[in-house]
Amino acid sequence: MATASVSTPLKSHHGIFSTRTAGGRMPLTPSPRIRTSSLATNISNTSSPFTPPRQTTESTRIVSQSTYGNVTSLFSRSTSRTTYRDSPKSNIAKAKKSPKHLELGVSDWTLTGTGTTVGQTPSKSAARKKGPLRTRSGKTTIRLEAGDRFIPNRHASEGIVTAGSGKFDESQRPKTSSGEGSAVLANAVSAFDLGGLVAEDDATGALEGLSLEDGEEVPSYTKPAPDTLAYESSLATACGVSLNTRILAFKPAPPESSKPIDLRSQYNRPLKPANAASAQFRRRVLTAPERVLDAPGLVDDYYLNLLDWSSGNQVAIGLERNVYVWSAESGTVSCLLETAADTYVSSVKWSGDGAYVGVGLGSGEVQIWDVEEGTKLRSMHGHDTRVGVLGWNKHILSTGARSGLVYNHDVRVAQHKVAELVSHASEVCGLEWRADGAQLATGGNDNLVSIWDARSLAAPKFQKTNHRAAVKALSWCPWQPNLLATGGGSYDRHIHFWNTTTGARTNSIDTGSQVTSLRWSNHYKEIVSSSGFPDNSLSIWSYPTLVRNVEIPAHETRVLHSCLSPDGQMLATAAADESLKFWKIFEKKPGSASAMSREGGITGKGGDMVKQMTIR
Amino acid sequence: MSAEKDKSKVHKLSLKGSSKLIAEFFEYSINTILFQRGVYPAEDFTAVKKYGLNMLVTSDDQVKAYIKKIMSQLNKWMTGGKISKLVVVITSKETGEHVERWQFDVQIFNRPSKKTSSKDTSKPPDKENAAPTDTPDPPPEKTEKEIQLEIQSIFRQITASVTFLPQLDAGNCTFNVLVYADADSEVPMEWGDSDAKEIENGEKVQLRSFSTSNHRVDTLVSYRLAD
Repeated sequence: MATASVSTPLKSHHGIFSTRTAGGRMPLTPSPRIRTSSLATNISNTSSPFTPPRQTTESTRIVSQSTYGNVTSLFSRSTSRTTYRDSPKSNIAKAKKSPKHLELGVSDWTLTGTGTTVGQTPSKSAARKKGPLRTRSGKTTIRLEAGDRFIPNRHASEGIVTAGSGKFDESQRPKTSSGEGSAVLANAVSAFDLGGLVAEDDATGALEGLSLEDGEEVPSYTKPAPDTLAYESSLATACGVSLNTRILAFKPAPPESSKPIDLRSQYNRPLKPANAASAQFRRRVLTAPERVLDAPGLVDDYYLNLLDWSSGNQVAIGLERNVYVWSAESGTVSCLLETAADTYVSSVKWSGDGAYVGVGLGSGEVQIWDVEEGTKLRSMHGHDTRVGVLGWNKHILSTGARSGLVYNHDVRVAQHKVAELVSHASEVCGLEWRADGAQLATGGNDNLVSIWDARSLAAPKFQKTNHRAAVKALSWCPWQPNLLATGGGSYDRHIHFWNTTTGARTNSIDTGSQVTSLRWSNHYKEIVSSSGFPDNSLSIWSYPTLVRNVEIPAHETRVLHSCLSPDGQMLATAAADESLKFWKIFEKKPGSASAMSREGGITGKGGDMVKQMTIR
Repeated sequence: MSAEKDKSKVHKLSLKGSSKLIAEFFEYSINTILFQRGVYPAEDFTAVKKYGLNMLVTSDDQVKAYIKKIMSQLNKWMTGGKISKLVVVITSKETGEHVERWQFDVQIFNRPSKKTSSKDTSKPPDKENAAPTDTPDPPPEKTEKEIQLEIQSIFRQITASVTFLPQLDAGNCTFNVLVYADADSEVPMEWGDSDAKEIENGEKVQLRSFSTSNHRVDTLVSYRLAD
């Protein structure tokens, strides 16, 4: 036990300089560093003056071994042994370290290490200053003397512990005859049980070797101290470190903080957590559908846009080859059109005034219908792939097609195509004009969001590549015109919020499922997202806190389309389970009527309406 | 007085119970430090009544699981009396510097497992040099209530310490848990040898202590002085 504990300090001693490299055993005695430094501080001495000489000590020792053989053949005999003996001795030396030693560390070392220099400058203070610098230069000259110096130092070592280092010089100088010294040494070595490994015949060589390679450390520390252990443990206990203690760290990295923290707000934290406080004021959202309609034949295709609610309170829905219009006022359903047998309805969109509905077809044709009259006003050709998305800006109808092209049509003129917006490489499935018509946002199957300035449509103002799946869900914030929300498909699952003036992404939400549509509330600082697998739900998020206020399991299959009623209170959702559901999720509070931002206060007064009805 | 003494005897904690109490104290300490020092956002913590205080405990699943893993091992070591220190180090993510170090020194009285010969032989000469605090005598037994009050005052102090501790680069710090364990402790895979992660030229502040019939815990925080 004793030897084990003694031998370790050497390793850990190296560990001082590179704590990481020392491998598994190093920390078994983590103490040396702590010991020395903390001790040093105890004695009101900094650790820094102590450590540098330590380092040089190591270097000189190594050098001495190599140059040694060159200097004298006599010495070369013991070189092998020197390395051999190196560890046990220096261990003891190490263990011997006492608080007093530490303090003396520098001068102590200088005396022995820099032979000639010391002799010239016996004064302690001078030696101390020069110490670390001189060592390297004086290396070679030391060699021969070193053997002799062993003795004085041994004697002095007593003094070191008790008295100051000043004694060194005196005791060291006079005894320079090597013969005498070595004889004494030999006795001393065996007496101290250091020479257990030394054969008698080359005792002198061994001694020389000893003194040489251990250089400075040995002389000062050789006293084989019966109380070595006592020192060790006293050091350990003084520093509060037990020798057979190891420092263990819990290795796995701690989890990342979920978001940046401002401690200032924490210091001023109300006694009740903010969440709990807001919970009681959090508005209650009706989680049951107001009305459910069948929507048979609704094509289960994420890339189509088959549902829209007009400002005249009529809902248009494309079911395979037909477009039906359901009047929320009267609850009546009419079939507006039926396409040719070889194609299908791929998109519907009401014009801003609610009088016309634009219909995109799988053939690439775009039709405009007068709903009141039930007649087709015109057909616009141009796309040769299906038109999956439409968007009105007054008299301009924008159409996005599978080819990735977006055309702007002026519906008033014969040469209807007024602009070609090229940015998407794959099917355009999201398209939304800002309410003031100044900007247009498009999203495509190429995971790209393009934001266009209506005045320059040659190239998009911004192109955003943050989404990792098709972008169908696009919505402009009603109360902050330059805020756009975009939602990505099943591989992406994120909602990103953009400042469309600067192009900066201001916020993001990971929804955990495919985002199929996004709608801002007109009355609340909230946005609702509809999602696909796995929840098929509607989520209402507060903005800008991005807290999910409520999640409503809405449909049995993924929600494909959603649209808001003109009064902004009701959300209609169509899903692949062939149902159309109406949710009163943004119900206005009585008394807050002034908050109405959209035109009309048309509520679906359908009290006389049956709960379930088939549009067809 | 005598009546009180009787009571204290009734409520005397066994070594095992004391270890448990201390492990629990560590758990709350870690949570409190993480909260007070803004290692994780305040919203991630929920208040729990403990030690007559509202203690804040993380409700983040990942952090919870992380601490739980630490605690499960710590419990084992505590009951085995293998631990002499627990250290929570707060490290800057950017520079990797250790900015704050919370150290809890544990002393175990009447340690039964410490009968190794080397230790015993080294003890006698040691006594001359040892600091007076080194070999503490077990304090008079305390009631659970007294212990709880002591713990309470430590937590009050930890909470209060944010007033003198330098403002951390909140949210940009991470933490590590170190344990000073006996060399012969069983070490699971997740724990590895480490350096002490001391703070260079750090300022040290000794906080309060508490003790049970078997353990004494001292608290010390060291922190990097603002440049």
